[in-house]
Amino acid sequence: MEMKIRVDGVDHKVQAQLLKGTMWVHLNGRTFTIDTAAGKKGRKKGGASGSSDQIVSPMPGKVTKILVSPGASIQAGQSVLVMEAMKMEYTLKADIAGVIDSIQCTVGEQVALGKLLVKIQPEKA
Amino acid sequence: MAKFTRIAVANRGEVAVRIIKACEELGIETVLLHSEADINSRAYRMATKTMCIGPAATAESYLNIKANIDGALAGGAQAVHPGFGFLSENADFAEAVTKAGLVFIGPSADSIRSLGDKVHCKELAKKAGLPLVPGYQGENQDVVHLITQAEKIGFPVIVKAAAGGGGRGMKLIKSSAEAGELIESAQREAASAFGSPKVFLEKYLDRAKHIEFQVFGDSTGNVQHFFDRECSVQRRHQKIIEEATSPSLTEDLRRRMGEAACAIATLGNYKGAGTVEFLLQDGEFYLLEVNTRLQVEHPVTEEVLGVDLVKMQILTAQGEFVHDPKTIRIPRGHSIECRIYAENPYLGGVPSTGLLGKVQWPEGPRRRYEYGFDEGDTITPYYDPMIAKVIVWDENRPRAIQKMIKVLQDSVVFGVHTNIPYLIEILSHKEFVMGTMTTRFIETYFSEPIKEPALSELDKKIADGALAHLRGAGSDQGTVSQSPWTSYWRGI
Repeated sequence: MEMKIRVDGVDHKVQAQLLKGTMWVHLNGRTFTIDTAAGKKGRKKGGASGSSDQIVSPMPGKVTKILVSPGASIQAGQSVLVMEAMKMEYTLKADIAGVIDSIQCTVGEQVALGKLLVKIQPEKA
Repeated sequence: MAKFTRIAVANRGEVAVRIIKACEELGIETVLLHSEADINSRAYRMATKTMCIGPAATAESYLNIKANIDGALAGGAQAVHPGFGFLSENADFAEAVTKAGLVFIGPSADSIRSLGDKVHCKELAKKAGLPLVPGYQGENQDVVHLITQAEKIGFPVIVKAAAGGGGRGMKLIKSSAEAGELIESAQREAASAFGSPKVFLEKYLDRAKHIEFQVFGDSTGNVQHFFDRECSVQRRHQKIIEEATSPSLTEDLRRRMGEAACAIATLGNYKGAGTVEFLLQDGEFYLLEVNTRLQVEHPVTEEVLGVDLVKMQILTAQGEFVHDPKTIRIPRGHSIECRIYAENPYLGGVPSTGLLGKVQWPEGPRRRYEYGFDEGDTITPYYDPMIAKVIVWDENRPRAIQKMIKVLQDSVVFGVHTNIPYLIEILSHKEFVMGTMTTRFIETYFSEPIKEPALSELDKKIADGALAHLRGAGSDQGTVSQSPWTSYWRGI
């Protein structure tokens, strides 16, 4: 909804809406979101995120190709699997060198954002 | 040719809405052929009739020729408008539509075969004496063979889907080492998006501008051009910002490119709306491809010329549109279009899906919003991430840029992240402002995800107040006891 919020005697025009615990705000020509569940961590960032020994889905989409098998050695930056979302292909790469510990998805599977796809056993330093 | 009383719309999203509006202008009813996933959409709500033609997966719905034709017949349509993407450049579809006793709103199947297939088109262009980019367009699609061909052309080489467009099935190959993986990926994308894995190779011009000409063949086959557009701002070979007319053309180039565009369209016996794409580098132009359909960016041409291309397409299919030889078209002012993608610009553009909250486009003169979804609709992961287009017109290019920035700043889309902040940064970039950008503009200046600006203390106070207000604390005094700022929060 559109509203006026008074701060130090001045009224500011702002639009805001609560959607599933996130507040969406449009203010001074930009939009931002705030996680309103105080203390709760925000959504994980995309990419091979979380700890780098895990590859998680950066978006909802379909796994179209798995390029490695469990037990295989991989280099940092090596392509591990291919996803498709919104008609575009995205190749997910390993952040670290190591051995593929487990693959937790199958080809053709529709996966949700943030789903763990591949676990990597880091190389012993 | 009889007048149509009902047209089937074989598409979705904003373009389906665009076609329905043109039909309404002409007093023609519509039947929307949609998938199970698109019931919550503007096109579904606006169409006179709707027919579900299959599940969400495009292969079983929007790309299914039989399902579309059965739907059009069952829906009582006399003609089919394919929009852009999906089956719009599929000659077999155009043929099947005609065989079913319906009118295909677009060029003939033969025209699509000779011009729409990028490989045939280049053969035709050679005959017409049009300059071409060096490349490989052979039948042999073996990956090892393609790698050898790429090496012959010399890197960088671009691999493209023969049957496609819109950046899908298109990859830039910089060296032999990555050629195999990228060619296979392009073949998979091509198969999934266009139903054919066939690809071809082209030398990548690294300082080129993308310039295209809108052509239109009337009911008698007379082809004229409707001037040019520039679409050099591309990411992953997808256009993001388009404008009419191009700031890069001299009068002489404009005349010569326009003649070349009409020449190839005439050779292909073209009827209806089409686009001839060129690359322009160092004052020389090369034919890139011909798109035998309406283009996403058609509104900028409409804005500078005051025409309605979709209405013209329908009238042409009815056999009643003929170019008036007395009409002298002169583009007026400048028009810019920005494509709004459902993606997170701060995470490098990963797709963003979900339930749309508030959607509000700022009102004002000479601005136009083409969009397919409203509050309460869901953006699904099955289809293209482009959810809307913002088009502005103004007296000249600098003013149009200024206006576009303000319009984007004032546009509200809640529920999914959009590329609006990214668009604003591009429009403000000096290279864009000067009009000197090439197709490598994005990779040169925007290779990293853009930075999210920090919120000021005042912004935080206002947001706190807004949250209190939403939670019914009834206070609009901008102070709340339990501030969420201690928690993680982020912009979009």
